[in-house]
Order: sequence, then C-alpha cells, then structure tokens
Amino acid sequence: MNVLPFLIIVPLMGAFSMPLSSLLGEKARSAWAVLVSALTLAVASKVFYDVWSTKQLLVYTLGDTTPLGKGVGFPIRILWEVDLFGALLALIVAFVAFMAIIYSLEYMKHDTGLEKYYTLITVLELGMLGIVITGDLFNFYVFLEIMSIASYALVAFRNDTWEGIEAGIKYMFVGSLASSFILLGIALLYGQYGTLTMSYLAVKIGQNPTFVGKAALGFFIGGLLFKSGAVPVHMWLADAHPAAPSSISAMLSGLVIKVGGIYALTRIAFSIYGTSINIKTVGWIIILFGCATLIVGNAMAVIQTDMKRLFAFSSVGQIGYILLGIGIGLAAYGTKVGDIALAGAVYHIVNHALMKALLFLVAGAVLHQIGTKNLNELSGLAKRMPFTSFAFLIGAAAIIGLPPLNGFASKWLIYESSALFNPFLAAVAVIGTAFCTAAYIRVLFTFFGRPSEVVDNAEEPGKAMMLPMLVLIVAIILMGLFPWQINDKIMLPTVDMLKDQLHYVAAVIGGA
Amino acid sequence: MIPFQFITAFLLIFMGLYAFLYKRNLIKLILALDIIDSGIHLLLISLGYRLEDGTLPTAPIYTGYETLKGTPMVGPIPQALVLTSIVIGVCILALAMALTVNAYRHYGSLDINKLRRLRG
Amino acid sequence: MFGYWDALYFIYVLVIGMLIAHMLSRWAEKVSMGTRRSGDGTKIFISGEDEEKVIPQFEHFRGYVTGRHTMWGLIRGIHRMFLIFRREHNGLLTDYVAYLLITTAVVLGALVIWG
Repeated sequence: MNVLPFLIIVPLMGAFSMPLSSLLGEKARSAWAVLVSALTLAVASKVFYDVWSTKQLLVYTLGDTTPLGKGVGFPIRILWEVDLFGALLALIVAFVAFMAIIYSLEYMKHDTGLEKYYTLITVLELGMLGIVITGDLFNFYVFLEIMSIASYALVAFRNDTWEGIEAGIKYMFVGSLASSFILLGIALLYGQYGTLTMSYLAVKIGQNPTFVGKAALGFFIGGLLFKSGAVPVHMWLADAHPAAPSSISAMLSGLVIKVGGIYALTRIAFSIYGTSINIKTVGWIIILFGCATLIVGNAMAVIQTDMKRLFAFSSVGQIGYILLGIGIGLAAYGTKVGDIALAGAVYHIVNHALMKALLFLVAGAVLHQIGTKNLNELSGLAKRMPFTSFAFLIGAAAIIGLPPLNGFASKWLIYESSALFNPFLAAVAVIGTAFCTAAYIRVLFTFFGRPSEVVDNAEEPGKAMMLPMLVLIVAIILMGLFPWQINDKIMLPTVDMLKDQLHYVAAVIGGA
Repeated sequence: MIPFQFITAFLLIFMGLYAFLYKRNLIKLILALDIIDSGIHLLLISLGYRLEDGTLPTAPIYTGYETLKGTPMVGPIPQALVLTSIVIGVCILALAMALTVNAYRHYGSLDINKLRRLRG
Repeated sequence: MFGYWDALYFIYVLVIGMLIAHMLSRWAEKVSMGTRRSGDGTKIFISGEDEEKVIPQFEHFRGYVTGRHTMWGLIRGIHRMFLIFRREHNGLLTDYVAYLLITTAVVLGALVIWG
C-alpha cells in the first residue's frame, strides 16, 4: 500500500481536530497532539524505509492512477514525488517535531491559547512534510506558504511581549516579499514552458534553456536564500528564532530553514535545472553566499550575550557550511569531490537538525527554570542543573565537530571536499569553525563557572522536558559512533538519487 | 512587442517595491505587499491568455479584445493558481493586520523605524 | 573513500594559513611605529611605550614585541569587523528589504551574464 498520502492526511486532520480534542480537556489535547505526531513519525519512517530499501522514487498522483493526461504524453496532474533526500528529510522533520511536541507539553504549560499553539505546530510540520514530498512547483509554493504562515504566527505566539511581535513583523513582511519572488519565478516558468510539474519542466528546460528560465532561477535563488537565512538576508533569523518559544525555535532553526530553504534550493538546482544551464555559475553563487554566511554567522555568535540569540547566529553559521557543501556539489557536478561535498551537506542537514534542536531545548529548559537567557547572569549553572549542562556540553561539542560525535563526520566531509576543490574555501571554513568554537566555549565557561545568586535555587526541569533532550543526546552519540557506515548506507545513495535527474524525470514520464 | 498587461504587472510589482523601500507606516507596507501580490496575479492571469492559431482566446473575465464563437478558451490553470494565491494572500493580510494591532499596543506607533529594539 | 592521508590537505591549508599569518606579522612590524623585540614578558601597552595607557581588560597581557601596531592591529581589525557586523544589523525593516533586493539582483545579474 502506498502510505505517502497519509504523510499529509494525518497531520492535517490532527491539526484541525486539535481544537475539538481540547474541548475534552487538557489531557485529551496533549494526548491527541502526541498521538498525531507519533503517527506522522511512523508514516514517515515507513516512507523512508520504502524508498531506502527499493532505491526507487515513490510517485503519487492526486486524483488518478497515472500522472499523464488522457491521450497526451505529458503530466497534467498534481503529483507527489519522493526520492531518498525528501524521504530522509521527512523522517527528520517528523522526528524533531515529535520531540518538540513532547517538550512543549511541559514547557508551554503556563501559556494560554494552547489549542491554537498545537494546531499551528502541527500545521508547521505539515507544511514541511508537504515541501519535501511534492513534485509540482505550485504545490511546492502552497506548502511553502503554509509553513511560512505557521512560523510567522508561532514566532509572534507570545503576543504579550514586544520581542515576539517585533520579530514576527520583520520576519513576516520580508518573508512574504521573498515568497512573492518565488511566486514570480513560478509565474515566469509557467509562462515560458506551460507546465508546473518539476520533472516535465526539467525536460522542457533541457530542450530550450531561455533567458526567462534563467531569470526565474534568479528569483528562486534570491527568495530561497532568504528563507534559508544566508548572509545578507540573515537578519530576520537572528531576530525571529530567539523570540519564539523554545520548542518552536528548535523546529525553526533545526528544520524550517533547511526544508524551506536548502531543500528547495537543492531540488530546484539539481532536479529542475540540472545541467541544462551553466551549473558552475549556480554553484559558485551558492559557494560565495555560503562563505559569507559562514564567517558572519559564526563571528556574530561570538559577541552575543543572549543565549538563544547566540544559538540563532550559530544556526546562520551552520547554514553556511551546508550552502558551501551544496555549492561545491553543484560547481564540481559529476566528479567525486562534488559527491563528497553533497554527501557532507546532506549529512550536516540531518546532524544540525538534531544538534540545534537539542541546544534550543537546553536554552528553553534554562529559560523555563531560571527565567533569564542572559549569559552574564547564568554563571555556574552546572552545579544546580547537571543534566541540562551535560546536554549542552554534548550539543556544543557536536556542533563544533569534536570527533566522537556526529558533527565531526559531516564537517569533515565538507572540509575535505572544499580542500580538494579549492584550498581557499577550506581555509574560510576553518576560520568559521574557529569563531564557532570561541562562541560555544564562552557559553561553556558560563555554565561551568562560579555560581551566581540567580542560579542558587534552580532545579532540573520535569520529565517531559528531559525526555526529548535525552533522546536527542542518544541520537547524537549513536550517530557519532557509526559515521562512515551511515555515510555509505544513507548519504551516498541519497546523493546518487539527488544527482540522477534522468531517473527523476523518467519516474513520471517514462515509467507510466 | 511586450503586451501591455505584462508591463502593467511589472509596474505594479515595482510600485510595491518602491513603497516597501520608502514608506514607513505599517499599514502602507501591508498595502505594498498586496500590490506586489496583485502584480504577480495579473502576470499569471494574463499568461493564460495567449494567441492560438492566430485567434485570440475567449475569456469571460477579459473584454479588451473582440471575442469570436468557437475560439479557444483561455488556459484554466492560471486562474486556479491565482485563486489559490489570493487565498494565501488573504491569510497573510489577516496575520499582518493582527500583528500590526499588537505592535501598536506595544510600541504606541505604526512607524516601522520605531520598531527597532532588536539589533546587534 | 576516506583515507587518513586526506588529512594532508589540512596540513597544506595550515601551511598556507601560517605563511599568510607570518607575512601579516612581518608587514605589521614594518609599518608600525617604534616596534622593538624586547624578549619574553614585555608588558603590552595600547600605545606602544606609554605606561598610562594599558589596554582595558587586558592588563595582564605580556608579549614578545613592544610597539603600537604589531599585535593589536590585527585584534583591532577583528574588533572593527565585529563592530561593522553589529552596526549593519540595525533592525530597520527597510534595510532588510534592501538586502533582499540586492541579493536577488546580484544572483539575477550573475545568472544572466554567466548562466
């Protein structure tokens, strides 16, 4: 049975029945939220296992059995098409969203309007799942907007604080402008080629790459670089991610910027455009933005005094590594260096989702128990909150890239490929890591320093907040123990499928 | 020759961008967002209206040209797309309005340059 | 596919980095005012020899070279970089929009010229 539609059906139904379930009381609502996200995780695992074990693309046509129109040789229907990259991201999205929902059971207990909160968080998950499985450009735009609107609303969820409102307004206005650019790109492509199906567009662009097609790609890259938080347009990220509730920050930093930005960029660059335009140019554009992102993001993290803001800037820096890997994968398309870089980028997407989710959950625990996130006041936390400090230690070590943890493998792949591609890029990457290390060591000294009076009465958070952190720590350590096995078994097949544009097209047009 | 509706669409988009760069009132920025969206919608809608076999297609909502019986219809997909996009636009409009009300409550001003406590 | 010999590339990158650093320090010594090598444990003042002007928060610093620009030129440069980054992040929505437009325009231009 094709379980793909349930990836959308379950969270969609769960989201909009959330207010109904909250009529039965708080317990019923919590149980319903956990149940829905657990079911989504199960469906996502099934989809991932199906794609991974068969190495075939899953294609699902809405409203019919075949994507092709009657009597014509091209697809006319909306279709979903999942390759291993999409399935992998769907799994990670479902996993981190599940953790965030369990965490918010306790973290958000003191807030009001919780049925709206759970509805929005499930809609956010739904939007991301939709982006990674869709094979239709306009469908992609719709899911992108679902995800974006949910995240605008969630950033401004605590509307009694000025921080959330200001960050929400800035995120929303500029984000809508970026979405408009993406819609403009879609309109230009539709006007030029008369189709919206990604795989058929790939054929059409391959036959006739025109000026309008390139301009559309420019609009896509501009809008999606904004959504992923690359450097000249990273400022909304540093404002919005700290302002959101911490469970949402974990999802925004861990998932939204990758699924809404990096995944879409990769899909458009590899599967739609591919080699029909000058792929070296696209690659170098992304590399240059990646380098700027890497330096500025990590450097800004060093001078922050707000813990969550520091983590947000660190997210900007890590996005720089991912962009660097994807850029090298594009610029060195078809060579082994490109494959390694791309594998590193995909690996780092997964790793960073886990690490940054863990770090934001730690920040949330500190904020929840002590009530401040100012690093100058949090000295000596480790004595009172040992588990939280340990979780932070693991997350920070992983994000810096210390060998026994999972961040090491992905960063190593990116360094290695950039050194092989161009030693200058490797030097830039290492400078970025130096800044990153400096930033996290500052927080580490704060945690393990002399206790201040603010933390005197601090206690560990409750079980519902510890459990997700524990699971994420275990995941990070487990992934760190088998880095090359994971790379060979999962990441390299992902890269092979991602690069295989012919197969992506044939699954829709040739196969049926 | 570029059809005039395309020129109008891009004019609308640039008007919106101008307002985004030079206007400071939040309500005007919401209007700017809407004008940009309208420009893109106009572009999309007029893309469905193309010359086929030398005859212009019939469009129920478009009366700038003479219509003939038996001529092809305009493409239906752009209209579906624009309908969806309008709905999304309304969502963003509503959310932006709600946030604007809240911003006025916190800052006592609709001037976007006053909303700059988050920096550095 | 991962040989440990690949680590050699990092030594290569490290050597390049150290060369650049060495050239920078030589250049800084040459252009700075009153730089002297006075051995280990030299107290570092913000203006070379002026004992009144100790660098705030770095009073305990001791180095090998005394002089105005040698070491602090680099640190001031990094500090200025932080200041510039910080000033650019000014919280104005107009600037955010302008950056988005500039980014899109740069990408569009690059794609149209070399695409």
